[in-house]
Amino acid sequence: MTAAPAIVRAGLRGPELAGALRDLLGNEKVLWAREDLLLYEYDGAIDIATPDAVVLPNDTADVAKLARFCAEHGVPLVPRGAGTGLSGGAIPVEGGVVISFARMSRILEIDVPNLRAVVQPGLVNLHLSTAAAPYGLHFVPDPSSQKACTIGGNVAENSGGPHTLAYGVTTNHVTGLELVLSDGTVVRLGGKAIEYEGYDLVGTFVGSEGTLGIVTEITVKLTPLPEDKRTLMAAFPTMDDASSTVSAIIGAGIVPSAIEMMDQLSTQAVEASVGAGYPLDAGGILLVEVDGVRDGLDDLMQRIETICRAAHAQELRIATTALERDKLWAGRKGAFAAMGRLASDYYVQDGVIPRTKLPEVLRHVIDVGRRYDLRIANVFHAGDGNLHPLIMFDGSKGPAEVERVKEAGREILERCIEVGGSITGEHGVGMEKNCYMPLQYSPVDMAVMRRVKDAFDPLGLANPGKVFPTPGKCKEFSLNAAR
Amino acid sequence: MPRAERPATPQACAELLRAWSDGRRTVRVRGGGTKDHLGMRAETDVVLETAGLDGIVDHVPEDLTVTVCAGMPFAALRDALARHGQFLPLDPPHVVRGATVGGIIAANSNGFGRFRYGSVRDLLLGVRAALPDGTIARAGGRVVKNVAGYDLNKLFIGSFGTLGVLVEATFKILPLPPVTRAAEATFATAGDAFGAADAIVRTSLRPTALVVERTDDRRWRVVIAAAGERAPVDRASAEFTRVCAARGATAEPIVDPDAALGPLREIVDSAADGIVVRAALPLSAQPAFADAAARADRGARVVADAASGIANVHLREDRAGLVAAADALLANARVLGGSARIERSTIADLELSVGGAPSGAFLMRRLKDAFDPQGILEPARVTVG
Repeated sequence: MTAAPAIVRAGLRGPELAGALRDLLGNEKVLWAREDLLLYEYDGAIDIATPDAVVLPNDTADVAKLARFCAEHGVPLVPRGAGTGLSGGAIPVEGGVVISFARMSRILEIDVPNLRAVVQPGLVNLHLSTAAAPYGLHFVPDPSSQKACTIGGNVAENSGGPHTLAYGVTTNHVTGLELVLSDGTVVRLGGKAIEYEGYDLVGTFVGSEGTLGIVTEITVKLTPLPEDKRTLMAAFPTMDDASSTVSAIIGAGIVPSAIEMMDQLSTQAVEASVGAGYPLDAGGILLVEVDGVRDGLDDLMQRIETICRAAHAQELRIATTALERDKLWAGRKGAFAAMGRLASDYYVQDGVIPRTKLPEVLRHVIDVGRRYDLRIANVFHAGDGNLHPLIMFDGSKGPAEVERVKEAGREILERCIEVGGSITGEHGVGMEKNCYMPLQYSPVDMAVMRRVKDAFDPLGLANPGKVFPTPGKCKEFSLNAAR
Repeated sequence: MPRAERPATPQACAELLRAWSDGRRTVRVRGGGTKDHLGMRAETDVVLETAGLDGIVDHVPEDLTVTVCAGMPFAALRDALARHGQFLPLDPPHVVRGATVGGIIAANSNGFGRFRYGSVRDLLLGVRAALPDGTIARAGGRVVKNVAGYDLNKLFIGSFGTLGVLVEATFKILPLPPVTRAAEATFATAGDAFGAADAIVRTSLRPTALVVERTDDRRWRVVIAAAGERAPVDRASAEFTRVCAARGATAEPIVDPDAALGPLREIVDSAADGIVVRAALPLSAQPAFADAAARADRGARVVADAASGIANVHLREDRAGLVAAADALLANARVLGGSARIERSTIADLELSVGGAPSGAFLMRRLKDAFDPQGILEPARVTVG
C-alpha cells in the first residue's frame, strides 16, 4: 500500500521542542505560548490541529538550520503562507513546527529586461503585480484570495484564478526555486531562463503542497499587461443556458481570458455584500473577459454577445470603464466572503470536469443539495470546467453535521471523476481530500508519486499526513483503492 | 545492430521493460528516430520502437482536448485535428521526418510558437508511462486543470526516456486561427535585431514566431509571424514595421510563412557538418550570446527563438577550432544564467571540458534510481550526474 503511516512519529514535541527551538534560533523567531499557537491551528478549510511551535524565519539560513534540527529530532515541518488554503495544507495534522513566512515577504528583484521577478515565499500575490505595474508588467495567476494569499502558497498549491483560462496556472509562470529539503539541504533549481538541462524539478515541485520540501525563494515570469480589455456580464434565466453558452463560446473558436459563472444563490449573496450590480432574478450569470491588443476586441465581444443572445441571455452589460470592470470583478472575487451572509460555515469543493459535462454535473450538484437538505451555491471557473460548489452549513451543530457536509462533497467529487475529471483543480488535496486520491489514481499511480516523495523527503518530515491517503483516516478507501 | 522490439500495446511494452530490467539489458527508446543525434551514441542491447502504439484514443472537439498513443506521428495527429478545424499548438522540429508525440514529449521538443501558445509542459495534461518494473503509471488527467497529487507530467517531459516509456498522452488543443501572416527585416548587428524582437515581446501582440537568424552573409534577420483574427494580426504587422523603422530597417511581408519558418525550425537537421549548440537563456542575454557565437566561429549560423530565449548555434567554419568554440559557448550560456547542450555533433568522440551536472543533480539521480533501479533505460542519455 502506498499510504504513509498515520501515527505521529516519535520525536521532540511540546514545550521541550519550543525551548530547544528558542535556543537554536532565538526567542524572537519562535512562538510557543498557547494563545499564539491557537492562531495557527486552522486555515481556510475546515480541519484543525495545533502546532507544537511556530517558527518565523528571517532567511533561508534560518529555515535550513531549523530543518537540520527537526531532521535530527524527528519533528514534522509544515510551511504556511497566509493560511488562505482551502484543503488544510497548512494544518500540522501530525504536530511539529509550523513555519510562517510572514518575515520572508520581500521582492528581491524585479528584472524588467528578462521579464522575471525573484521573490520570497511570504510575498502577498497582489503585491507583486502592484510592484510590477509601473513597468507595464504583472504576475498572471490571480487567485480570488490574491489580496492575502502568498506566492509561496501559490507554488505549494499550484494555484489558479479566473484569468488562468488563457494564460495558465502558477506552474506555467515559475522558472526557478530555492528549496530547503527536510534534511536541511539547500538546493537551487532552474533560474531565469525558460528551461534548464536535466529533469524539470521546478515543474515537479510546484503543486506538491509542502510535501517535498520548503520553498525559500521563487523566480517567476512577469507578463506584459494587456493593452486593453472588455468585460461582459451576461445574465441567463437558467444555469443550463449559462453552461451551454460556455461551450458555445469555446466551440466558436474564441478563448477568452476568463469565463466565470455564478448561480442565483451566489449573486444574491454578492449583491447583499458587495453590490456588484448583478441582476437578482437571473438563474445564472457569466462574466466573460477578453484582452490583448485593442484591435479586434470590440468585434470579438460582439461575437460573444451574439452567442449569449442565442442562448437566451436576458441581460448583457459590457463594462465601459475600469471602474465598472472592477465592480463586476469585485463581485466575483468577493463571492466566497459574501457567503458569510447565507450561513455561518461553508465547505467549498474544487472538482474539475470536461466543459461539455457542465450542465449534467451542475444538475447533479443541485440534486445532492436537495437530497442532503443543504444549500449549495456555485461560483466557479466555467471556462476551465473547474467547479466550486459552496456547501452551506452550521458548524455549531457539531461533528456529525460536518461529516454529512463532507459526504455531500464526496458525492459531487465522485461524479466529477465519473465524467473523466479531477478531485481538485486549484485548491490542492491537503488533508481534506487525501482519502479521495484513490478515486482518481490507481495504487500504481500513487506508488510512483511515493517514489518522488521519497527522493525529496526520505525522512517523511515534510508536511506529513497530506496528499497521500493515511490508513487510520482513510480505511474505507484503502480497502477499495483499486479502481 | 541491437535487437528491435515493437510492442503493439502498452501492456506488452511494460512486460518487455520488466523482462529487460530483470535481465539488465540496456534499452534505447525510439519513436520516429528523428533525435538519434542527441546524447552519446553508445549502442544499447535492445531498441524499443513505439511505432506500434499509434492512433487517437479520444478526441472530444468541444472539450478542446485530445488523447493519443505516444507512437503516433505528430504529422498524422496534426492532419486529424485539422479536419475538425483544430490544432495542437506545438511546432517542433523533425515533424517532416516522422517525429512522434512521445518523442516530442520525451525531448521537450518545441518550436517558435511556445511564446504564444506555451511549450509541451504548458499543453500536456496527462501521460501514461510504462516503467521498468512492468507497471503502467498514469500522471495528470484529461481535464485542463488538475492539481491532485504530484505533477509527474513535468518529470517525464524532457527526460529523454530515462525514467519510463511514454505510451499515451493527453493535450490541450485549440481552434485553428483564421489568419496567419509573417514579415521579415534584416539588421547589421545582433543588438538591433534582438532589440527589435524585444520591443515586440513587451507588447500584448503575442506573435506565433519571433526569430532572429544570423544569415550566411553574416547579417541578422528577424522573422515575425502572427496568427488569429485579422485585426490583431494586422496590428502586429504594423507594429513590426514601426519597430524595424526605428532601428533603420525595412520590414517586408513574407508571402508563405510556413516556407520561411521551416528552414529556421530545422537548423539541426540541416547541420550535416560541424556542431550544433543549443542554449536556453534569460531573454536579455541573447545578444551577448549571439555575438559570442559569431566570435567563436565567424561562419556560425544562429537561429534564436528570441521571444523565449532559445538559441541554436551551428558551428561549422573553423574545423580545427570546433570543439573549443563549442566549449566556449557552453561556458558562455552558464555565465549568462542559462544552460546549454550539444544538440548535434559530427565529431566522433567529442570531449568537452564544460558541461557536467545541472543544479539539483543529486535529486535527479535519486529519481532515476527510483524509477529505473537497474539503469537500463537510455544509459547514454542520462545527464543527471
